Amino acid sequence: MFLAWKEIKFSKTRFALIIGIVLLVSYLVSFLTGLAYGLSQEYRMAIDKWDADSIVLTSESNQNLNMSMIDPSEQSNISADETARIGVASNIVRPEGSEDSDVNIDVSLFGIDPTEFLTPNIIEGELFSAENEVVADITLKEEEGIEIGDVLQLSGQDRTVEVSGFTDNARYSVAPVLYADIQTYQQIRFDSDESIEDFPVNAIVVRDSQSLDSLNIGNDELEAYPINDFISSLPGYNAQVLTFGLMIGFLVVIAALVVGIFIYVLTLQKTSMLGVMKAQGISTSYIAKSVLAQTFLLAVIGVMAGFGLTILTGAFLPAAVPYQNNYLFLVATSAALIIFALLGAIFSVRTVAKIDPLEAIE
Amino acid sequence: MKSIELKQVSKRFKDGSKTIEALKSTDFSVDPGEFVAVIGPSGSGKSTFLTIIGGLQQPSEGNVFINDNKFSELKEKKRAQRRFKDIGFILQASNLVPFLTVQEQLKLVNKVEKSKIDKKRIQDLLQELDIYDLADKYPGELSGGERQRAAIARALYHDPAVILADEPTASLDTSRAIEVVKILARETKDKNKATIMVTHDERLTKYCDSVYVMEDGILEKQSMNDKVGSI
Repeated sequence: MFLAWKEIKFSKTRFALIIGIVLLVSYLVSFLTGLAYGLSQEYRMAIDKWDADSIVLTSESNQNLNMSMIDPSEQSNISADETARIGVASNIVRPEGSEDSDVNIDVSLFGIDPTEFLTPNIIEGELFSAENEVVADITLKEEEGIEIGDVLQLSGQDRTVEVSGFTDNARYSVAPVLYADIQTYQQIRFDSDESIEDFPVNAIVVRDSQSLDSLNIGNDELEAYPINDFISSLPGYNAQVLTFGLMIGFLVVIAALVVGIFIYVLTLQKTSMLGVMKAQGISTSYIAKSVLAQTFLLAVIGVMAGFGLTILTGAFLPAAVPYQNNYLFLVATSAALIIFALLGAIFSVRTVAKIDPLEAIE
Repeated sequence: MKSIELKQVSKRFKDGSKTIEALKSTDFSVDPGEFVAVIGPSGSGKSTFLTIIGGLQQPSEGNVFINDNKFSELKEKKRAQRRFKDIGFILQASNLVPFLTVQEQLKLVNKVEKSKIDKKRIQDLLQELDIYDLADKYPGELSGGERQRAAIARALYHDPAVILADEPTASLDTSRAIEVVKILARETKDKNKATIMVTHDERLTKYCDSVYVMEDGILEKQSMNDKVGSI
């Protein structure tokens, strides 16, 4: 550490450059991690909010919520601690009276029973209490300026809904969620003014302390899926997570290469000095440790600075950017960057081991 | 006790099909407090001789003893440890670490050994060599003579039995060179070191106790009328 730190202090510009590069890569990696996490949350947030263990869908639905149609009466056949029916419909709404198509908003409509556990928490206003009232995700207010009492015109139908309150963290498949009761959902989904008990819902969400295997559904055409499997199969979710994961992985490897090459070049430049040190009897392991310590210092300083910059950036981003800090992921990618940088420095350790002190003397 | 002793040490190199005898079978020894000069033309085997004593290469035949311990047969790692403990190297120019100040060069020894820094000793040594004012300067800020004095301080700091100086005055003008060699002679006597200095400058040998001439791998003692106490 002594040599490592003294050298950094002595050649400030040179090491500032390396730290700068580590900082930029770490900033990019952390920022991408935040974006990846934020975007994945846009897909699944509303589902995480359910705090459910599994979801019952039809076997033929291929875990696609929209394609699953279940008779609501099936609910009573499921042997779980708690169950809740849900119907889901994608829709487009715009503030009533507005003809401008620019203000069209993509939404997901969740039809739920307010006596069951899918009922959203209310952060503003109150829960829907009548037909055609909805609770909306707060981003509808933050990004689109919708207020309580506003009436939304449904696209392609002659129907309107009125916003009675707001909830938070309710986004599903990158769209804000509108919660309504099941009757309202059925009328909108099937474009019918009748309220018929047999109109199907999409799924029955299950909270159960037992394992999935012991869950009795009582119908061969239905199947229970763990909630995480269901999230992974959301259209586009996995592709998106994998794409970001690959990018982040490559960046970590590139950072390791860049740091490794820098340290390697610096070590090559110092060959004769290191040879003299070895001639004086300073052990290879001491010099090697010093190279690793130096890499560690550079990586830690760079990564920490990048980390700080990321959090600062995150605080100033507009709400429309799907950015979200996940400290666990941030710490994990930062640790990976530091570990890979150290791996990159191992090339230099080999070079140090190979230096022949005799050549430095003669 | 001899500080340095060579018994029938020789070194051969293979150069293609030919074998070059860089050092012919040599017996040689240095006592504590003795300052020995080895002179000779370049390529005569002076450096080979010095690096074998320093354990940087092994002799083809024979043995090197440092403080009566067989040194040349140890494994490289052990030899490095002994080198660190028992031998102080002073090289032509570049044996100071460029990014350490003069006093940090000495502190490095403690850092490697994981021992406590002896501030008093650093101060005394630097004062003795008249470079105490330069304690916080980097090698790049020193003159050639000052650098060599710092190198001598570095070599003496861990109190080795043996000092090996390879052309320590090569980059200095005559007056500076004489000054450095005088310091070496003084420290050898004061601290009872066994010092070998390889040089091509015969004017410097008058400060030494004995002078050897190396030519074509053969080491021969030069007769000295005005010196006593050599073997």
